Formats: sequence, C-alpha cells, structure tokens
Amino acid sequence: MLDQIWFPLYFTFWIAIVSSLLVLCSGVIIAYIFARRDFRGKKLAEVLITLPLVLPPTVIGYLLILLMGKNGFIGHMIYNVLGTGIMFTWQAAVIAAYTVSLPLMVRTTQAAIEAVDKELEYAAYILGRSEIETALAITLPLAKRGILAGLVLSFARSIGEFGATLMLAGNIQGKTNTMSISIYNAFQSGNDELARVLVLILILMSLLAIALTGRFVGKIEA
Amino acid sequence: MGVKVDIKKWYNKAEIDGKKSTQKAFMLDINFEMENELVVLFGPSGSGKTTLFKCISGIMEPDNGIIAVGSNVYYDKNKKINLSIQKRNLGYVFQNDTLFPHMNVRKNIECGLKNWKKENRETRFMEVLDLLHIEELETRYPSQLSGGQKQRVALARALAPKPEILLLDEPFSALDTEIRTKLAKKIKTLQNKIRIPLLFITHNLEEAFLLASKILVLHGGKAQQFGTQEEIVYSPRNRHVAEIFGLSNIFDDAYVKERDEESKSTILESGSMQITVKYLNFRVRDEVCWGIHPENITIIPPESGFEDQNENLYLASIKSIINKGPKKRIVLKLVKHNKILNAEIPAQFVDSLKLHASDSCLVKLEMSKVVAFYCF
Repeated sequence: MLDQIWFPLYFTFWIAIVSSLLVLCSGVIIAYIFARRDFRGKKLAEVLITLPLVLPPTVIGYLLILLMGKNGFIGHMIYNVLGTGIMFTWQAAVIAAYTVSLPLMVRTTQAAIEAVDKELEYAAYILGRSEIETALAITLPLAKRGILAGLVLSFARSIGEFGATLMLAGNIQGKTNTMSISIYNAFQSGNDELARVLVLILILMSLLAIALTGRFVGKIEA
Repeated sequence: MGVKVDIKKWYNKAEIDGKKSTQKAFMLDINFEMENELVVLFGPSGSGKTTLFKCISGIMEPDNGIIAVGSNVYYDKNKKINLSIQKRNLGYVFQNDTLFPHMNVRKNIECGLKNWKKENRETRFMEVLDLLHIEELETRYPSQLSGGQKQRVALARALAPKPEILLLDEPFSALDTEIRTKLAKKIKTLQNKIRIPLLFITHNLEEAFLLASKILVLHGGKAQQFGTQEEIVYSPRNRHVAEIFGLSNIFDDAYVKERDEESKSTILESGSMQITVKYLNFRVRDEVCWGIHPENITIIPPESGFEDQNENLYLASIKSIINKGPKKRIVLKLVKHNKILNAEIPAQFVDSLKLHASDSCLVKLEMSKVVAFYCF
C-alpha cells in the first residue's frame, strides 16, 4: 500500500511545485501589468485569465485538449519541435494545474500591487530608479504578503486539481495519477482503506494551506 | 541658473476619476520664471499647485509649452522634448509620507545615490545627514520616526542626489504648528546654503510669508500674480489675489476720478465717498475695487478733528465690538457714506480709548495701506 500512497503523493507535490513556480513567475508579471498599465483589451485579458476560476474543470480540460492536442495550435507546434505530444505526460498535468491556479495568483497579487501607493513609485523614479528597479525594490517587496498568499492559494489549488488533469494527463497508474485521481481510483475499485488514508493526507494538507493563507491574508488586511 | 515654466494643460474631471462626469474641463495655464530663490506657490485647493509639480517632475505631461531648469530642457512641445522622470534632475518631497517603509533611513537616502561611485556615495550620505541633523536616525525604519523626523529624512533623500531644483508639496501640512515653523525656518537656511531654485506649496499664510522671497498665486489653474510679498499684499492684481491674502473690507463700486502725478496719488470715488490711494497704473474712469486689511484701519477719538476726505479721514459710528483674544474686532459704519468697515485693533488700545458700541469716532485709512485693484 505504501507504493500506492508514495507515487501519487510525490507526483502531486512535484506537479504542484513546478506549477506554482511557473505561476509565481508569470503571475507576478501579469498582475503587475494589470495593476500598473492601461492597454487596449485589458478588460478582455483580465476576463480570460480569470475564466478558469469559474469554468467547470472538465470544460477547462476540454479547451486545453483543443489547444494542446496534436491538432491543437500549441500542441502542433510542440509536436513539430519535440517530435512527440505532451498529452498524458506529467507536463500535461502541470499545464492543467497551472491553468486553474494562475487566476488565484494574478487576482491576489494584482490587488496587493494596486494597494501599493503609486507615490512611492514616483518617489523612486524621481530618485532616478527605472521602472524595473522600482518594481523589484519597492512595489513587489511591499506587495510581498499578497504574493505569498496568492502562492499558497495556487499551490493548494494545484494539489486538489482533478477534472482538467484527468482529461489532459489521463489516469495512468504510476505515471499521471495524482492524489485526487488516486482517491477516485481507490474508491472505484473498492479499496476504501487506501481512499481513507489519501483523503486524510489531503485534508491535512488543505488545513495547512488554509492556516498559512489566513496568516498572510490577515496580515495584509491588518 | 534659472527656471522657466510656461505650460498649458487641459483635462476633464472624468479622466481623473475614470468615471463619467459632466464637470467642466480644468485648465492649467501657468507662466513664470525664477532664479535660485525660494518661491511659494499659494492658492486654494484645486487651483493646480500639485498638478504644476507633477508636470515639472514628469509625472504628468502638459499639452503645450516649455519647462526648463537651467540649461536643461525638461519639456518642449515644439521641439518634441519630454524627458523621462528619471532623467530630470530634481528633488521632490510629497505631501504624504513617501519614505519606503521597508527600508531604513540609510537605504532610503542611498536609493538616490545608486549611480554614484561608492566612495562619493558615503561622503554625500554623511553630508545630507549632517545638513538635516539626522545622524542618529541612520538605522531607523520610517515607522520608528516622528512626523517631523520623517519629513527631515524625506528632505535629505530628495537633496542627496544634488538636484538642480527642489519641489516641496506642503511637506509640513501634517505637523503641528511648532515643528512646522521650526522646519520652515530650516528650509529657509537650507536654501541659502544650497542655492538652487526651490518651489514650496503651502496653504498656510504664515508659512508663505515666513519663507517666500516671491509668491506665485494660483487660482482656478491660472497664475494670478507673481511677485514679492509686498507687491502681492499691497498691489494685488485682482480680487482673487486680494481675497486669498486676507484682504477684507472690499468695495467694488469705485472708479478712478483723478491721477495726480505730482503727489504720486490716485483719487477714487466710491459711492459718495472719496478716497486717496497710491499712484497706480490705472486710467481715469476705470472701474476698480478697493479694500483695506482690518488691522490697517486706525481709529481716532472724535474730538481730535472732523471728517476730511482729502486726508482719508471719515466720521464713523461703532456698531459693535467683538473680543478676539488680544485683539478686538470693531464693526464701523461710515456715517455719511453708508459703508461698513471691519477693523481689528489691539484690545489694550480699545480699552484705553474707552470705546463702546454706538459711540462715534474718526476712522483714518492710511493712503499707503489702502489697496486698489481691477476687480476681475
């Protein structure tokens, strides 16, 4: 049974860590642009980024397949470069987790950046600091708690991801079965003991995430 | 090295709030030149003071005109010059506290010295600490500083990169009067030391008079008058300026009767009243306003003379006397001319003359103290 717990646990964490790192890097940049720039189509871009938050995960999975499958726009390019598709691989699980958790990061971080007084940024510009220097030295450090809260939320969302992952990465034992998928498998095959252990682990992890988020978010509001 | 500003900017209130609104377009139309001196920008809120600063610093772009500091042109619409904020070498202290809260005083000040050589950086850092007497604050964080200390550090940070112009936007408005006056004096001595053009926004008349070598009066986005304190108080260009600088007892029913080049005076007729004022740049028959500051009205006991309009001496009756601490406000009615004047006289003097309501007296309006101007 240890084997049946170990792989999904390790796999889920691996997916969540890789996805969260990608979410952190891209989410902060997107959030900064949303918070500090005005451009044509900004509202549309914001809606598109937020959409996965409200769409059913199976719909997201389906759309991702359209995009990432061999005949999809991105999938086709990947196939041309790598000679192989990414459907049913761990990378596909990362893409699914990334897509559903990015809006959490962007929304939380954007709010935190918008809360940073613009005059502080102007003060830095007047002292000769460039926009990138100012973002790195002033804006982001001051939005730190929001970014951390977003990161915790994204990480938790990645760990719990089920629907989109199932559709994009499949349910391949020992290859793409995350914790959530393993619980479903165990329950389906009548292995209640395994299901219970996995459920317990996920509950503990979620509680931890809530505790951490509560701390960060609480401090932002205070 | 001087500063030349001549800018125009139009915008809708709607653009600022991001909401639809029917408010009229606001226009900034400011034109002045200054040397290495301390100029106070004075005007009611919404008159465009901070907008002017934002244009000079590059946070906002004017629609037209030129901004130049010394030989550096910051903005020139015709030549398509618009330097980025970073390339304009200026110091700016904001109205609100803008010290970086996550950096200590040293880090805050060094933020403006990043491009300096390391050895020069340390020397300069010590210099500004010394200049503002904040040596002991070096390792403290903004949250550990008092309001006055914060603004000293903000000043030090603004001065550290040796700016060629310093903009101070009501830097002391959040402080109590005592520290405020102290820091204002400090600014004055500082300006004498560093000798760069310094623009200072304030709402506070006392602060303006304490600091200014010249005052630029703004109203409704337009520069109303630019001049010395004396010029602005005693020769306001229009009613806005006169009122902003506390002139009351304003009458708008006067016209120029006569100009006397010999005695360097102008005679106005205001209703049935005749009054002599300084020799001013008016033409005969021009319609003008006149007024006098309440503290410049002199009251004389009636037994010492008669009404003599050529001497600006009028018969009055006292309507009421109101206590105002060390002063008393006396409401006077000019008997023959049906005009009400408010005078402010030291309480002691009122007591020694034994003045009471409904007494009569003579009122003297000193020619040099009577202010006359075009109403609009």
